Parts: sequence; C-alpha cells; structure tokens
Amino acid sequence: MRVLMVEDEPRLAENVARSLRENAGYAVDTASDGQEGLFLAETNAYDVMLLDLMLPKLDGMELLRRIRQSGQHTPVLVLTARDDKESVVALLNAGADDYLTKPFDLGELLARTKALIRRGKGQPSPVVVIGDLELNTVNRTVQRGGRAITLTAMEYRVLEYLAHRPRAVVSKTELLEHLYDYNWEKFSNVIEVYISGLRRKLNEGSSRQLIRTLRGQGYMLQD
Amino acid sequence: MRRDSIQRRLIATVVLSQAILTLGLMVTGVVVTYSRLLATLDAGMQAHAMSVAVLVRYTEDATGNVYFDNSLLPESVDPNHPDQFKIWADRTGAVARSEDWPDGLQLQPSPNQHWNFTWAGVPYHALQMSHVPILDREEGKAFRPQTLTIVYASPTIHMRQQVKAAAAFIALVSLLLLGVTAWLALWGIRRGLSPLQALAQQAAQVSTHSWQLQPPKEAEEIEELRPLTESMTQMLARLERSFVQQREFLGNAAHELKTPVAVLKSTLQSLLQRSRSSEEYRTGLQASLQDLDRLEQLLQWMLRLARAEQWAHDARRRELDVIDINSTCEEAVERIRSLAQSRNTAIHLATDGPVPFRADPEDLQLAWMNLLENAVRYSPEGASVEVAVTHDDQSAKVIFQDHGTGIAATDLPHIFERFYRGDPSRTRATGGSGLGLAITKALVEAYGGNITAESVPGKGTRMTVEFPALKQ
Repeated sequence: MRVLMVEDEPRLAENVARSLRENAGYAVDTASDGQEGLFLAETNAYDVMLLDLMLPKLDGMELLRRIRQSGQHTPVLVLTARDDKESVVALLNAGADDYLTKPFDLGELLARTKALIRRGKGQPSPVVVIGDLELNTVNRTVQRGGRAITLTAMEYRVLEYLAHRPRAVVSKTELLEHLYDYNWEKFSNVIEVYISGLRRKLNEGSSRQLIRTLRGQGYMLQD
Repeated sequence: MRRDSIQRRLIATVVLSQAILTLGLMVTGVVVTYSRLLATLDAGMQAHAMSVAVLVRYTEDATGNVYFDNSLLPESVDPNHPDQFKIWADRTGAVARSEDWPDGLQLQPSPNQHWNFTWAGVPYHALQMSHVPILDREEGKAFRPQTLTIVYASPTIHMRQQVKAAAAFIALVSLLLLGVTAWLALWGIRRGLSPLQALAQQAAQVSTHSWQLQPPKEAEEIEELRPLTESMTQMLARLERSFVQQREFLGNAAHELKTPVAVLKSTLQSLLQRSRSSEEYRTGLQASLQDLDRLEQLLQWMLRLARAEQWAHDARRRELDVIDINSTCEEAVERIRSLAQSRNTAIHLATDGPVPFRADPEDLQLAWMNLLENAVRYSPEGASVEVAVTHDDQSAKVIFQDHGTGIAATDLPHIFERFYRGDPSRTRATGGSGLGLAITKALVEAYGGNITAESVPGKGTRMTVEFPALKQ
C-alpha cells in the first residue's frame, strides 16, 4: 500500500511516515506544501492520503476539492487542529472520508488509515479470506488451511495488495506503484522474485495455485 | 447600607412643597378673612356708634347741657355678649354708657382709633370716634354746641369663630388636595420611572452569548435616560470586543499549541512503537527536546503578549522615569546584532538628538527588537536595515526600514493580529510565532503611541512608530 502524507510540519510528517512504514509496511510519500501534494496526488496512485489543513501555497481544503473534482476516489484522512463542528462538517463536505484532530495518537492514525484503505477497496473486514487463504491486516499474519505462513515484509505487502483486489488482474506497474514510494522504477525487476517466493510459501502442502500469472497483463489472486 | 429611593425622595419633595403651599394658603386665608371681617365689624360698629350718638340730646333749657335718651336704645344683637359703649360730651363730661356696662370696665378714650381688649374673658374690638356733632341742634339757641366722643366696643367672639371656621375649611380642602396630589405624584413618578425598570430588565438579558442591549422603546424616548442607554451600549460594545478578543486569543492559542504538541506526541509514540537501539532512543529524545523547546518558546511569546496587553491597561498608572528613546533603540540594535551578523545584515541607526519619553525602557526595547528581528529575517543576505528616530514638539517617531521581501497588500491589514501569518511556510522556516508584531503593537499602544506599516512587495517594508511628545 502506498500513502501520501501532505504536512508542512516536517517533524510530524517524518514521525507519521516512519510509523506507517514500520508498523504497516506502507510506502509513504511526503509533501510539505499544498502544491507539491496536488502534484503527487495527480501523478501517482495512492491507496490513502493523509492531509493537513493549514498548508502553505495551497490550502488543504482547496487541495481536497481539486483532488475530488478531478475524480479521484482515493480515501482522504484529514489531520486538523480544529475540531469544532462547523469545520468538521466543512471538510467532510469537501470530500474527506475521515478526520483526526491534532494532537493525535499514532495507533489511532494507523487504524484509521487501514480502515480507509479497506473501505476504499470494498473490503470491509480486517481479515481477508480468499478460499482457504486468510490474511489478517491488523497483526499482519497469513494462514492457509489453518497453517501459519511466515512471509518477509515485502512478500506480505505484495500479498496484502493482491488480497485487497481479489479476482482482479493487477499489473506489475500497479504493484510497483503501490508498494514503493516515488522512486519505485528502480525496483521493477524484484516483483517477480517476491511473487515466486510467495507462491512457494503459499503452496506448501497444497496443490492449488492461488496466484495466477497472466502473461503480458499481470497477476491475479483467486481461490 | 442605607438605600435611597428616587421615588421616595421625589414624593417627599412633592408632599413637602404641597404642605408649604397649604400652610401659606391657610395663613393667607385666615389673615384675609380676619381683616375682611374686621372691616365689616368696624363699619357695623361705626353705624351702631352713630345710632347711639343720635340719642344724645340737648336739654330744653338754654344751658346747652345734654342728656341721653335711653328709651330709644336699640337691642343688642347678641344678648349674651352685648356691645358696650360710653359717650362723653365736651362740657357735660360722661353722658351715657351701655346699660349693662359692668363696674370696673374702664373704657377710656384712647389715642388709637381701633384697639382690642379682653374683659371678663370676652375679647372686644373697640372703636373711638371724636368730635361727633350732636344731631339734636335747635336753631336760635344761644349756646355753644357741644361735640361728643364715643367709645364703642363689640365682642369679637363671632368673628373669631368665623375665622376659625374658614381656617378649618381651608385646611380640610387643602388636606384633601394634598392627598390627591400626593397620589398623583406617586402615580406619575412610578410611570416616569417605569422605563428605567424596563431598561434594567433588558440589561439583565445581556450575557456573554448575547451582547446586544436592546433599549426598550419607552426608555429611548426619555431624554434623561439617553446618556445612560448610550453609555451602556458603548460599554457593552467595549466589553464584547475585549471578550471576543480574549476568546479568540484562547482559541488561537489552543490551535497554535496543538501542532507542536502533536509533533512531540508523535515523536514519543513512534519511539515507543517498537524496541529501538539506544542510539535511536537518544536521537528520538533529542528530537523531543527540540519539540519541547518550540512549545516553550511559543508559551513564552504568549505570556509576553498577555503581559504587554495587561500593561497596556496599567501603563498610565505606573510611575515611570523619563528615558531617552534613542538609547532604547541602541540597546535593541545591540541585542539583535548577532542575528544580523549571522545574516550579514547591517543595521544603521540615525537620530537627531535625545528624545525624552516616559516609559519602561525594557518595554520599548522589546518592541524595537521584534521589529528589528522581522526586518532582518525577511531581508536578503547582505541587505541593510535603517532605523531613524526623529522628533518635534508634537511627537516622536521611530522608523524601521528594510529592503526585504515586503508584505503582500492582502496581508498588510492583518499583520498586527495575533498568530497571523501571511505565509505559514515562510514564518515556520524563520521561526516566527506570529505574535511578535502583536506584542509590539500592544506595547506601543500602552504608551499612547501607534504603529503603522507600509510595504512594497519585493522592495521592503517600513514600520513607523509614533509617540506623543513628552509633556513638560
């Protein structure tokens, strides 16, 4: 999963990004002003955006409106210092999906971010079940047929992304875009490595292939 | 505490004046009645005296003596208190006296024409007539005619009773009228004071949620109440302004504090989310300490502003020495020097002699330092900042001119507002709190001065502080 964090306070952006990387394994891009945030949002595919309201150059509210006007569905979590009803109503009406008031709890931020990603992908439960495969997004564990499977962080991230889009063809570029931050291109060759590693671990003691490769198109997770 | 009532005072005034009027009326009434009755009595007595005098006749002989013809004496009006009289003739002497002239009553001719006396408990009014000719004058008699002196006295009991009755009547009517006017006054005063009550009721509705005082129509129509309603409205406007300012400040302060607190909290939380190396803990703790420093600085600025605004209220009450504005500028320039040097900025101070002013030098230095700090921070490296102090009979001016980025026209009207930042990134990068100019303004205004800003974006900003000249 890939997250965009637009926040002009560098220390806060850094802390949030670190927490998301370490605890959820997300790729995080940060922007320190509204214009940069808008540029990144328009040029990259994000699974969720974290947006501060008081931003230099382009106000957070305006940024939100422009993103929604351009037809982006990416869930947006607004980080705001104001918690009065009017401003909350205004930001939800401008297209935000959720909000957190400063100072917030990093654990709560993480949980809300995960929930927004799930909802954005039409996946209501934090435990994704595909056939006999069970993926718990809260504590990041994977089971198949009741057997726990140990994955590397990167393998888990690939599987998590595929699990959130079951039975859909996911291209290699899409995977790269959603698993790495802005310099994803240099990782283009490693996806195959992760996919083969995943296949090997998932298929232990099972004959049915979960991850299909569609030549020239991408990958598909199916039961 | 004794409570005075306007109503009671007004009614007391009305009743008192009414009572004085009543008393005056009574006295006038009694005096007038008495003198009228007395005049009537006098006329009656004169007539009676004449009717008695005609009973004096000459004897038939030629001696010219006189006698009194008793047989024709008229009856007294009041048999219980008969009139008294005595008649003297020039030569014959006492001729007659009233029938029941009691022994011992000496009616002596008195030089007075009228006089009062009391005899046997009965008050009398007496009248003396002299040189009254005897009417019974027969022609051809060869004697010298005599003239009469008559003293006639009538009891004044009736008259006194009449006067008393008149006085009682006047008193009764006056008392009735007094009652009526007191009641009318009470009614009028109550009615007159009712707008005051309506106003009080309206004033009781004023609260921190609704500052609007809607003076009742009846109160607005009363001329005497206008100064009160006007000053109340003005007072409320002032109170509302300062209340709203305080509330805004509180809201702003809370808002401003949230970001540094969020930074600190997230730093500590991310440090605790997993076990880390001691090096990571050290870095994290150092970062937390920096976050705390920022918080502390912000708090300090807020306290400084609160203090400056408080002093704005008390400044005139403090005892202050006369200081030289120039020396406060020199001191401020000195204190800002290290910042200026780090940015390679030169500060030029130009003065036209000592400028005496009554102020706390620390306050002025702080004000100048905030302005200088802004000037230096928003100037490009190697630029210069000019400070000029000028004064005349009317005022003293301190002007700060920089050649920096300037302030956008849209921001210019707001720069003295607390926490106002034209461009947040710029201020954050330069470490401003958004309070420096608000503090300077509060300090300048505390000493009766004012501050204005002019700016040309890209060229520079000029801040002008003007104080009234020191009164000798």
